[in-house]
Amino acid sequence: MDYKQDFAKEVYEKVDSGAEIKVCMQCGVCASTCPLREHMKYSPRKIWTLIRAGRRQEVLTSPDIMLCTSCYTCKVRCPRGIPVIDVMHGLASYALSQGITPREETAKFGSVFWAGIYGTGRVDEAIVPIQYCLKDGLVAGLKKSLGMMDIGLSLMKAKRLKPKMFIPPNIAIPPSHKIKGIKELQRMLDKAKALGARKEG
Amino acid sequence: MAKKIAYLCKGCGLGEALDFDALTDVLGENGIKEVKDAEVLCSPEALAMIKADIDGGADKVLLGACSARVKTDEFGFDGAVIERCSLREQVVWCSPADDDTQKEDRQMLAEDYLRMSAVKLDKCEKPVPFQLEGEVAKAVLVVGGGPAGMNAALAAAEAGSQVFLVEKEAVLGGFQAKMYKLGPQTPPYRELEDTGLDALIAKINGNEAIKVFTGASVDKTEGAPGNFTVALSNGETLRAGAIIQATGWVPYDPEKLAGDLAYGSSPKIVTNVQFEQMAKEGKLAGINSIAFVQCAGSRDANHLPYCSAFCCLVSCKQSMFVKEINPEASVYVVYKDIRTPSQSEEVYREAQRQGVIFIRRDETYPTISGSDKLTLKTKDVLLGEDVSLEELDLVVLATGMKPNNPVMVEAPLVAFGEDQDAAKALAEQIKAANDDWSILNLQYRQGPNLPSLKYGMPDSHFICFPYESRRTGIYTAGTVRRPMRLTQAKDDGIGAAMKAIQAIRAAEAGCAVHPRSGDESYPEFAMQRCTQCKRCTEECPFGTINEDEKANPLPNPTRCRRCGVCMGACPERIISFKNYSVDMIGSMIKGINVPEEDEEKPRVICLACENDALPAIDMAAAKGYKWSPYVRFIPVRCLGSVNLVWIADALSSGIDGVMLFGCRRGDDYQCHFIKGSELANVRMSKVSETLTRLVLEAERVQVSEVGITDADKVAELINGFMETIENVGPNPYKGF
Repeated sequence: MDYKQDFAKEVYEKVDSGAEIKVCMQCGVCASTCPLREHMKYSPRKIWTLIRAGRRQEVLTSPDIMLCTSCYTCKVRCPRGIPVIDVMHGLASYALSQGITPREETAKFGSVFWAGIYGTGRVDEAIVPIQYCLKDGLVAGLKKSLGMMDIGLSLMKAKRLKPKMFIPPNIAIPPSHKIKGIKELQRMLDKAKALGARKEG
Repeated sequence: MAKKIAYLCKGCGLGEALDFDALTDVLGENGIKEVKDAEVLCSPEALAMIKADIDGGADKVLLGACSARVKTDEFGFDGAVIERCSLREQVVWCSPADDDTQKEDRQMLAEDYLRMSAVKLDKCEKPVPFQLEGEVAKAVLVVGGGPAGMNAALAAAEAGSQVFLVEKEAVLGGFQAKMYKLGPQTPPYRELEDTGLDALIAKINGNEAIKVFTGASVDKTEGAPGNFTVALSNGETLRAGAIIQATGWVPYDPEKLAGDLAYGSSPKIVTNVQFEQMAKEGKLAGINSIAFVQCAGSRDANHLPYCSAFCCLVSCKQSMFVKEINPEASVYVVYKDIRTPSQSEEVYREAQRQGVIFIRRDETYPTISGSDKLTLKTKDVLLGEDVSLEELDLVVLATGMKPNNPVMVEAPLVAFGEDQDAAKALAEQIKAANDDWSILNLQYRQGPNLPSLKYGMPDSHFICFPYESRRTGIYTAGTVRRPMRLTQAKDDGIGAAMKAIQAIRAAEAGCAVHPRSGDESYPEFAMQRCTQCKRCTEECPFGTINEDEKANPLPNPTRCRRCGVCMGACPERIISFKNYSVDMIGSMIKGINVPEEDEEKPRVICLACENDALPAIDMAAAKGYKWSPYVRFIPVRCLGSVNLVWIADALSSGIDGVMLFGCRRGDDYQCHFIKGSELANVRMSKVSETLTRLVLEAERVQVSEVGITDADKVAELINGFMETIENVGPNPYKGF
């Protein structure tokens, strides 16, 4: 494969914090640090190499750029001070702006999560999972939620999820419990999005 | 008649452990009638007492207390010969005393050490420093006007010395003059910087103490530290006290990379030195795509086996040259490992910030093809694929540096005497390995150049004495000594200048330089008994001794480092120091009280190098290791100073075995005198003849390498040897 610099330049210019990866010296601390490393095909270090080698398609379609849970360990440990998670989120966002969805499920969850924040100014822990499951339709949604039952039970055991959260009026669909000043928040978010789009454009 | 007094210390547990009345008697029998003891010998009262006695006329003083390596300030009296007998480390701390027999052995051990010390004191004279005839030359001669040489000259001049700076080119500067710019040197390390050469040259020209000779080289160097006479190619003759050779480096010959990296197949394949020149001449315009290949011949057994430590930095810098003109250019650095120590890391980082792409390759060289536009194919180990860089306008091979110094390897050991054919063959072999050109043209018996170890770099105990060469008073600085970058070469020059000034001061005072700094003794030759065997002139590690036409040795004491290798070499035993001689150590050995065979108390002597082995022994004692009380240590200046006659003396007087503790030998030697340990090992391999003559077993003599960090293996070594001796049985010469 040829080395081509076009994609690297695209990332430096258009991806949030993209230029920071220039100083990566490929030590691999991010890869050995990442708790999700075993679920990745490409570690952060490898993603940077692919960018430098000009592999646009491989990078932007890689599910790994959407796998980050924002634990920040890599950013803390990077000896060159690269904000690895910012670049990862930047890459994911940039892929979406280019019409590519690197990881379907994460994108779906993200859109539900984001709609909740944008619509009400808060995240409802009962509503988000329901909406996420129902996004594929009722039957598929039920199947999905049954498939995730063990997670649900674990959350209940840890008291992060309580049955009463699902009993009206604690729950309302569509969500109606908005924060004060939701309009102002929406204006802020709109502005941020416009600024981001200008960079990615 | 010398006035001798002995002082015995009762502190640190010595008082309880030893019978002091018996010790006093032993000293009395050995010619020291006046013996005083003190509860604590290093207390102010006791020290005052010793000082008062010395002022009152005592000129030979024996201190039976702790090791000579400790409390040197307290016991450093002027005006008398001081002998320190280590009753603490070598007797009380290291010998077991669990029952009456062991206590008796310990007492015998202490008595033997005092006997040896008494003999030593008797044979010791106060050294009289050697004085050069005529006025001592105090100027420093710097050969080579590159970064190291210029900074050496400036540092020496600023420290008050007259300096001669000799440069073979028409202008000063060396490689610094060939450079376009330096990489970032100052925080925040973002900008290329000017080389600063003009300011440096102006400073040198403005300094009245520096006399510059450009377009000149050295035709002949005669003499010794404090008295070098140097003839230049321009007809000038200079007198200098010390010399700094800062002759820099030559690039590795790129023609040798024609096969591996296609050098010569296209004008677009250049070396880093050629690229620097292109940058200086402003010929970098129009480069859109360029690749640097690191380790072009470096760290490769077929080319330069070592890392040149500067090529990574230079490629980072040179990639910034390209970005300076065309920020959009694609710049690749294909490397094995980036090695940018200290502030060079900032240059690496800045190159990265500017968008230079670093590609890590494996051990195989990239394939370079094409003529106008080049293609470079390599394995990218971080991507895990074979990759290719297309449409390259230029490929720069980052080649390493070779010292600009003629290779001069010395005979690994001396072959002479019995096997003349072998000696001749060895001489031929050495001659073939050595270059026939010279920089300093030394008029030394041992050859015109500074001896080198691996790779032709002048060498003398790299770790402990970095600037020293094997020729005293001649120091190497900068890239001739080892590969380094410009900023290091500057510091190196300054360091060498300080060493050169020290050497001149030492020549003036008549004392030794490193490692026996301040030693005023020097070897004296009883010439009427010399047989012109040439061993001393051949074996001296420092080329101290010249020869006249009849092969008589002509010593140059200011070149000498006082190791005593000549003394160990001399079969006629005519070489001695005022305070160290064949007779002195021989008499000490004979002073040891050897019990009769039926007492079942064997005796072993251990000749220990006082630089590394002796400190290790002290440390082992301090750590609480115990070993056989039948061993007596005798410190020697270097294992190379051990004369075979001592072994014969010891064995014929009933001593059961001899151990020799010296430094590591071989290519990664640790010997402070370079080949002392090596020579001792060779000599001991010939000791078997002596042993056979005496009808004794070869196991009775053992040479061991004991480094300063080997405290933990000392006890094991000694006790292991004692077992061997027990198996071999007692020496049949006891009682003769």
